[in-house]
Amino acid sequence: MVGLNRGRWMVSALAALTMLAACGSDGAESGEDGNVQISFLTHWGPDQVTMLNEAVEAFEEENPDISVEVRAVPFANLLSTLRTQGSSPNGPTMASVYDLWLPELVRDGLAAPAPDAVADEVTSGWPENLVDVITVDDAVRGFPNEVNLYALNYNKALFDEAGIDAPPTTWDELRDTAEQLTDPEKGQQGFGVITSWPAGSVHPWLSLVASNGGQLLDGNTAQLEAGPVLETTQLYADLVADGSTVPEMSTANANTTGPYLDNFVNGKTAMIIMANWWKGSLSEAMGDRFDDVGVAPIPVGPSGSEPTGVSYSWLTVVNEQAQPAQQEAAWKFLSWLNGESSGEDGSSAMGDILMSMGILPSRTGDLDAHADDLSDPFLSAYVDQLPAATPFPIVLGGEELTVSVQQQLENVIFGSSDPETAMGQAQSEAQAILDKSGE
Amino acid sequence: MTITRQAAPAAPVATAKLGGPSDRKWAAIFVSPAVLIMTAFMLVPILLTLWISLHEWSMLTPIGDMTWRGLGNYADLIGDPAFRGSMRNTIVYVLLVVALTVPLAVLLGLLLYFPRVGGKGAVRTALFATYVIPTVAIAMVWGALYAPTYGPFDQILGWFGISGVGWLSSPSTALISLVIFHVWQMVGYYTVLVVAGLTQIPGDLYEVARVDGAGFWRQTVSITLPMLGRTMTFIVLVAVVNAVQVFDPIYILTQGGPAGSTDIVSFSIQRAAFQYGLAGQASAMAFSLFIVMIAVVAAIMAAMRRRR
Repeated sequence: MVGLNRGRWMVSALAALTMLAACGSDGAESGEDGNVQISFLTHWGPDQVTMLNEAVEAFEEENPDISVEVRAVPFANLLSTLRTQGSSPNGPTMASVYDLWLPELVRDGLAAPAPDAVADEVTSGWPENLVDVITVDDAVRGFPNEVNLYALNYNKALFDEAGIDAPPTTWDELRDTAEQLTDPEKGQQGFGVITSWPAGSVHPWLSLVASNGGQLLDGNTAQLEAGPVLETTQLYADLVADGSTVPEMSTANANTTGPYLDNFVNGKTAMIIMANWWKGSLSEAMGDRFDDVGVAPIPVGPSGSEPTGVSYSWLTVVNEQAQPAQQEAAWKFLSWLNGESSGEDGSSAMGDILMSMGILPSRTGDLDAHADDLSDPFLSAYVDQLPAATPFPIVLGGEELTVSVQQQLENVIFGSSDPETAMGQAQSEAQAILDKSGE
Repeated sequence: MTITRQAAPAAPVATAKLGGPSDRKWAAIFVSPAVLIMTAFMLVPILLTLWISLHEWSMLTPIGDMTWRGLGNYADLIGDPAFRGSMRNTIVYVLLVVALTVPLAVLLGLLLYFPRVGGKGAVRTALFATYVIPTVAIAMVWGALYAPTYGPFDQILGWFGISGVGWLSSPSTALISLVIFHVWQMVGYYTVLVVAGLTQIPGDLYEVARVDGAGFWRQTVSITLPMLGRTMTFIVLVAVVNAVQVFDPIYILTQGGPAGSTDIVSFSIQRAAFQYGLAGQASAMAFSLFIVMIAVVAAIMAAMRRRR
């Protein structure tokens, strides 16, 4: 009898849950005045949100039948907001997303294929390698906006002090230079790495792998036990063994700041591989000393032929779960926001917003319109490297795979594993993740 | 001298018993709001977690679109070295927290309760204040204190010729650094509980003990600590639960690193659900942890009951 009651109770509870899950409105497609209401989810800061709101006002003046609401959340909450709100009737109509999330968003119907006219616009207005990244299942999935890539950053004042003329171009030079720039008495390391942050750990290492002729994946097969990958991991172990890399100076926190950044800012790290987006953080923290920061291509390994930094991009997608009229309005807004008429001097409004953060826009027309701004020594070095960049592989399970590689890499950095064992473990874990995601 | 353990005088309790069906009806009416609230906010989420753990779900789709996996998520966990590592880290973290916090709270409680000196209220308030401050705010401060080489802790140790501790930046010290932070934050709360427990011990017992010639230590060992039994059970349980639930400092300061050394189950659950989109696996972790917690709590209560 008790069992029967319990069984009935569970069935009732599950029925109630199902009803709760099914509850909800049909969405807010139309406002009180008959406008189509759409929303834009972003992780930008207050200044950029203000600029976006100004652009929205201009768009709404031209398109009085569409209302755009901007929703801003911190970067750390962006993906979780999409997960919890994406499929709800009042979820965001448009969202700014990291390209690594795209396959999952496409699989779960949250990244709509662009209409033909929009797809043509993107194909003709953006570099081919970026369009490839955001093309999934033969469909363009949005507008690429910011692009980031990795290069060697170095402290010119420390180089001058040590009598070193130029940044290293090969791994042998990297080890020699790092050794010369290391001074334990001053708490100074020659070459800094980053830990406790998946992308911060893996992207710089993968830039060295790519500049050594290696790759992370070949299609859906992990390549972590290949020669160039093992050589790169061995380079990390050698730099630590030389004393040129001090693991304890490497940590990052949830804000993607922390000791690794502080040590470079304070002149305690002579060289580090980082992406262009940290220009804002560096210039704010270093003040006039920011002029000491030099940027150079990634040093080339013994098995490589040319320098190449890992790149990744962000794009704006339209929610496939939104009502058709909302999707249509969203594509119209994005075309306008990314078009040359919305910004200043031939730039798009999106280009202007990105440049205000010191981030490279990806639209060819925006790069031309901001040529003067992009000619500063820091950014121009990145712009020069852009054509040869290696996009980070975009696969299902990419986030989990990145963390798995990060863990093994950190085991090498902190001396709890040798390169061969660590990469062997990383290979089996990465392949398992890829196989599971592909099922 | 012999000090006989005496049972604490029974607290006055309501002895009226429920009478006929009418009384039971009124009892059910009065209890039902609490039962409904507990059902809605405790039982339903627990059952929902169990239900999700039997599925594959990214949370990007409606809950009705989950894919059935049966016990597959649990099987995956058993074979997952990362989960085993986070479970191991959680156990170490909980043991260290309890081993440090409980004796420290008892010691502070005794020091704050027995000596007749002024300013005890101020000290008690200061100790409790660490519990009241939001963890997010204070974790950022501790992150700066723990900064390697240039942080205040390393600077102070440097005066004594000690360097390279690493704190949060080394796999060998990161977890213990988080434990120190946890103890600092929570010990005031447990101290207040200890003081509250001490106030429940009848003064007569100490008077009798003193007449029999018992000194402070003998009174502590033979009266105070045994009479604090129920309070200690509660403190140990709350300390274990709080330690298992720790999340904020790990999310803010270490993200489970370096080298997975601070990867504990609550952080793994968040990462699996919100970063990897594996809500089924995350729910399996959460439900496994729930079962373990029930077993641990039952074991602690049984042990404490046996001691009493």
